[in-house]
Amino acid sequence: MIAASVAAALALIGAYLLLGRYPSPGFLSLERLGRDPLALRIVLSLRAPRALAALLLGACLAGAGATFQAIFGNPLVEAGFLGVSQGAAFGAALALVLGVSGSYPVAASAFAFSLLALRVSLWLSKRFHFGGQVLRLVLSGIAVSAFFASALAATKYVADPLSQLPDITFWTMGGLSAVTWAKVAAVAPIAAVSLAAMLALRWRATILSLDDEASRALGARPELERGVLIVAATAGVAAMTALCGIVSWVGLVLPHAGRLLAGPDGRASIPASIGLGAVFVLACDAAARSLFPGELPLGIVTSIAGSALFILLLSRRRAAVLR
Amino acid sequence: MDGAFDPSLELRAVRMTRSSGRGRAAAAREVVRGVDLRLVPGKVIALLGPNGAGKTSLLGLASGRYAPSSGRATLEGRELSRWEGGAIARRIAFLPQVERLPYNYSCLELVLLGRAPHVPYLSMPSGRDAAVAAAALARLGLAGFEDRPAGELSGGELQLARIARCLAQEARYLLLDEPTSMLDPANARRVADALKGLAGRGAAAAGGEEGAAEAAGADGGTAPHGVLFATHDVALAAYLADEAVLLREGEVVADGAARDVLVPERLREAFGVAFGPSSIASAFGEV
Repeated sequence: MIAASVAAALALIGAYLLLGRYPSPGFLSLERLGRDPLALRIVLSLRAPRALAALLLGACLAGAGATFQAIFGNPLVEAGFLGVSQGAAFGAALALVLGVSGSYPVAASAFAFSLLALRVSLWLSKRFHFGGQVLRLVLSGIAVSAFFASALAATKYVADPLSQLPDITFWTMGGLSAVTWAKVAAVAPIAAVSLAAMLALRWRATILSLDDEASRALGARPELERGVLIVAATAGVAAMTALCGIVSWVGLVLPHAGRLLAGPDGRASIPASIGLGAVFVLACDAAARSLFPGELPLGIVTSIAGSALFILLLSRRRAAVLR
Repeated sequence: MDGAFDPSLELRAVRMTRSSGRGRAAAAREVVRGVDLRLVPGKVIALLGPNGAGKTSLLGLASGRYAPSSGRATLEGRELSRWEGGAIARRIAFLPQVERLPYNYSCLELVLLGRAPHVPYLSMPSGRDAAVAAAALARLGLAGFEDRPAGELSGGELQLARIARCLAQEARYLLLDEPTSMLDPANARRVADALKGLAGRGAAAAGGEEGAAEAAGADGGTAPHGVLFATHDVALAAYLADEAVLLREGEVVADGAARDVLVPERLREAFGVAFGPSSIASAFGEV
C-alpha cells in the first residue's frame, strides 16, 4: 500500500517534470531530454524547483490542516485560520504598495506579517474571557483574519490600479511561476522542520483531540502542547505562503481525504494528509501551467479542484466528516 | 511520609475554594470543606451526594487537577502538587463524566490513548502498548472490539471502552465521575460489575469466565485497583462500594462502611428527601 503510493507519487513527479509547452504542448520525450540541452535546462532549473515548491506547499498546508483539525477537535479549521493567510496577504500587499521591489522583500514582509498575525491571535486568545482554549483560539483567529482582510482591502484601495493592484491581486491568488532553486532553498529548511515536527508529534495531536479534561488526566499538558504544535505547523505554512502566495482549500479538504483514507488517528491521518496534499498541489500546478496557453493562478485551480473534492468526499460516504 | 512506602491516595482535611464572577461581583465559595479520605488498592469508595455537593471538586483534588486551599492531598505519601503530570497519570486514572469524541476513533485507538503517560513525548506507542490496550479491552468484555468505531458503540459499551482506556494507564487508582449516570439499568449493571472486577472482587468481572482468575492478580496489570467514584445513585453505591462518603454542600454528612452510611436517616440528611430501603436496593438486586 505504502510502496504503491510512493511509486504513484514518483510517477506523478516524473510526469510533472516532463509536462509543459516546450517544444510543443505535451510531454517531453526522454530521448529529447538526452540530446536537447535547453530541454534539460528547462526541466532542471525551472520545473524541478517548481515541483519541489509545489510538493512542500501542499505538504505543509495539508499537514498543518490535519494537525489543527486534530488538536482543535474540529474538522472545519484549516492551516491559515489563525490569521496566517490574511496576515501574509497583507504583508505582501503592503510591501508592493510601498514600492518595494524584488520578490525577496515581498516574501519577507509576507512571512513577517503572517507570524505577527499568529502572535496576535495567540495573544488575544489569552486575553479573551470566554470559553475554553479551543474556542478562544478560533474566535481570535476569526478576529485577526478579519482585521488583516480589511487591512488588505484598504491597501488595495490605495494601490496604483495600473501597476500595483494587479500584482497584489495576483499574489493573493497564489502561483509558483517565479520559483527558483534559490527561493525554494530559502524556505525549504523551515518547511522541513515544520513537517518533521508535525510527524514526530502526530500521536500527541490525537491525544489533544480529546477534551482537555480527558487529555490532562492522561498526563498531557493540553494548552502548552497545543501551543507547540500551532507554532510548529504554522511556521511551514507561513514560509511556503510567503513564497507561493495564498493557496486556499488545500489545508481544509485534504485532511478530510487523509482521514477517510487512513482513519482518524493522527498516527496515520497526518502522514496521509501530508502526502495527499503534496501530490494534490503538484497535480493542480501541472494543470495551472499547462491547461491554457497562459498560466492560471494556482489558488484558483486548488479552489476549484478542492471544492469539487470536498463535495465528492462528503456526499460519497456517510460519516466522512466524523472520520 | 518519610520512610516507609505508603501505597495510598489520601486526602486530609482538604478544603477548596472556587471563585465565580469577575471584578466587583467576584465571590469565592468554598466547595469542599474539610474532607478526609483514604483510598488503597482493593478498596471501593463511593462519593455520594446531591448535585453541587462537591463530588466532582473532590475528585479534582484527588486526581491532582486542583490543589487544595488547605489540607493535604498526597499520593504514596507525597503531596500531589509535587508530582509530575505523567507520573500521576501512571498511578491515577481519572475518567470525566462526559467526554466529546471529535473523530470516530476505533476502540483500540481510543484505548491506546491510555498509554500516553507511558510513551515518551516524541515517540509512538509500541506493539507492547497495543497489546496492553487490547488486553484492557478484553478485560472489560470488549474482546474483538479493537477495530469497531467508537462512534458505533452503545452507551454502555462506550463507557466500558473509556474505562478500558483508564485500565491501559496501568494506574493503581481509578477515579470515576458519575460512571453510570448516562446508562440504562442493564448497562449500569454491566459497568458496575466491571468496576467490581477491577477492584478484585469476585467473579463478577465483565470479562466473564476469565474475571476470577485475573482478579486473583497475576501481574501488575491485573492487581486490584483502588476505586473512587462519585455518584448520586444510592443503589449503585450500595451495590459497589465498601465505604461511602456522604457529602452535602462540601461537608461530610457521614462516612465509613457503606452498610452503615447508606441508611435512610443518613441519606435523608444528605439529599433532603425520604429514602425507603427499596430505593437503596433497587436496580442492582440484593446487596
